Amino acid sequence: MAALIRSLRAVRSLRGLGSAVVATTCPASLYGGLRRGFHRAALLASDSKSDQTVPPPSHHEHYQAQEPRQGSSTFSTEQASASDPGTQHEDPWPNTSYQDQSGEQAEDYETEDQLQARILTAALEFVPQHGWTVEAIAAGAETLGLSAASAGMFDNGAGDLVLHFVGQCNVQLTEILAEEHNQVQLGQAEKKKTADFLRHAVETRLRMLVPYIDTWPQAMSLLLLPHNIPESLKHLSTLVDDIWYYAGDRSTDMSWYTRRAALTGIYNTTELVMVQDSSPDFEETWVFLDNRIRDVVNMANTAKQVQATGEAVVQGLMGAAVTLKNITGVNQRR
Amino acid sequence: MQRATDCVLKHGFVRVLYSINTRNVPAAINRVNSSMLCRKYTVLPPPRDKEEKAMLDSMLRVDHAGEYGANCIYAGQMAVLGRTQSGPLIQNMWDQEKIHLQKFNEILGENRVRPTVMLPLWNIAGFLLGASTALLGKEGAMACTVAVEESISEHYNSQIRALMEEDPDRYTELLQLIKEFRDDEMEHHDTGLEHDAESVPGYMILKTLIQAGCKAAIYISQRI
Repeated sequence: MAALIRSLRAVRSLRGLGSAVVATTCPASLYGGLRRGFHRAALLASDSKSDQTVPPPSHHEHYQAQEPRQGSSTFSTEQASASDPGTQHEDPWPNTSYQDQSGEQAEDYETEDQLQARILTAALEFVPQHGWTVEAIAAGAETLGLSAASAGMFDNGAGDLVLHFVGQCNVQLTEILAEEHNQVQLGQAEKKKTADFLRHAVETRLRMLVPYIDTWPQAMSLLLLPHNIPESLKHLSTLVDDIWYYAGDRSTDMSWYTRRAALTGIYNTTELVMVQDSSPDFEETWVFLDNRIRDVVNMANTAKQVQATGEAVVQGLMGAAVTLKNITGVNQRR
Repeated sequence: MQRATDCVLKHGFVRVLYSINTRNVPAAINRVNSSMLCRKYTVLPPPRDKEEKAMLDSMLRVDHAGEYGANCIYAGQMAVLGRTQSGPLIQNMWDQEKIHLQKFNEILGENRVRPTVMLPLWNIAGFLLGASTALLGKEGAMACTVAVEESISEHYNSQIRALMEEDPDRYTELLQLIKEFRDDEMEHHDTGLEHDAESVPGYMILKTLIQAGCKAAIYISQRI
C-alpha cells in the first residue's frame, strides 16, 4: 500500500516537473515564486490548527523538482528563507503544482489518512448514483486525478465510506453547536430550553442525511455489520455526548448514563422514521421527534414526582407510627 | 463555594480567571478558600492526544468514585453514631469529604469525564460498610476510617508518582490538588488512630478486608 502511495506521488511529481520546466522558461516563474511566498505567509497567519497534522520531519520526502536556475537563484533563495517557516506547517490544500524554484521540500506531503479522507469526501458526491459501494469510492478517486484502483486502499470498502461520512457529519454538528454556544455566551442569542435544544440538535444532524436519504438504508445496514459496529457505536456515543454537553449537562451521577441512553433511543428511532418518511420536508419525522422528546421530558418529571411522593409517604408513615406509640403509651417512661 | 459552582456551570469549558472575593467568608473555611479548592480556572491542561485524555479520564473517574464512596461511608457511620459523642467528629470529617466530592464533580463536568457506572453500587456498599462498622461501636467506625483513608492515601500517592513521572510541569495544578486531598485524607487517618481505632477486636482482619475491598473498587472504577 505504501508503494502505491509512493507511485501516486511519483506520478504527480513528474507531472509537476513537466509544468515546472515550462514555467522556468519564462520570467513569470519569479512572479510565481513570489506569489507562493505570500500564499504561505497568509497560511502562516491563519493556520493554527494544523499542529497535530505536521508529520515528523523524518518522514519528509524531498522532492528536488527543479534545480534553481542561475538567474533567479538569489531571489528564490531569499524567498525560500522568508517562507521557510511555512514549510513547517501543513498546507491545507495539498500542493499539486511544482513551480518551486528554490528546491525547498514540498509541503504537499500528506499522510495516508488525509489522502483517504480526501478520496472519501470526493466519493460522497457519487453516492446517489452508485450507492454506498466501492464504485463510488473509485469514482471519487478518479475526480482527484488518482486511478480507480486506489479504491483498493480501503480494506473495509463501503464501510469506510459510511463511517467517514458519519464522522464528518458529527464534526460539522459539533462545530455548529460550539458556534451557537459562543453566540449565547456573547449574549447575541437566547439560551434554548433543554427540550428545544435537543430537538434542534437532532434535527440539524438528521438534515445532513437528506441528500443521501434514498441510499441511507443501505448505509445503516453497513453500519450494523459486526466488524463496523464498534466504530459506529463510538461515533454514536460521541454524537450523543456532544449534544448533551452543549445542552448544558454537567451531571456526574447515573443521570449521565440515563440521559445519553434516552437521547440515543430518540436519535435512532427518529432516523428510522426518517428513512421511510415521504412527507414534504420530512414534517412527520420532526413531529415524531417532538413527541419522543416530550415523552422523555415527561418521564423525567414523573420520576421526580414519584421520588418526592415516596419521600412524603415515608414521612407520613413515620409520623403515624410516632402518633400510635404516643396513643398506646409505649413512649411513656415508667 | 456556591458561586464557584455557578460560575463553572455557566461558563462551561471557558477558562475563567478572576480573584475570589473573600470578604464575607466565615473564618472557618478561609483555609479552604486559599487552597486549590476555590480556584476557578480549570485544573487540567487541555489534552494533547487521545492517550492523555484517556489516562486523565481514568484517573479522575476513580478519584471521583473514591470521594463518592467515602461520602457514603461517612453517611452510614453518621446514621448509626450521629447522636453519640463521636457524632461531631465524624460530621467534621464528612464535611471535608463533601468538599472534595464537590470539587471532583466540578472537574468532571468541566472536562467531560464520564463518571463510573458503578456509582449506585458504591453508594449502597459504602453506606453498608459505614453503618456495619459503626455498629461495632466508635472504635469500629474509627477502624473503618483508618483502613479506607490509608487505601485512598496510597492511591493518591501512586497517582502523584505517575503524574510526576509523566510531566510534573504540565500537571502542576492537578498535582497540587491531589496532594492537598491526600494530606486531608492522611489527617483523617491520623484522627482515626488517635481515637482508638486499633482497640476494636479483630482490627487487623477488618483492616485487611476493607483495604482489599477498596483496591478492588479502585481497579474496577478505573476501567468501567
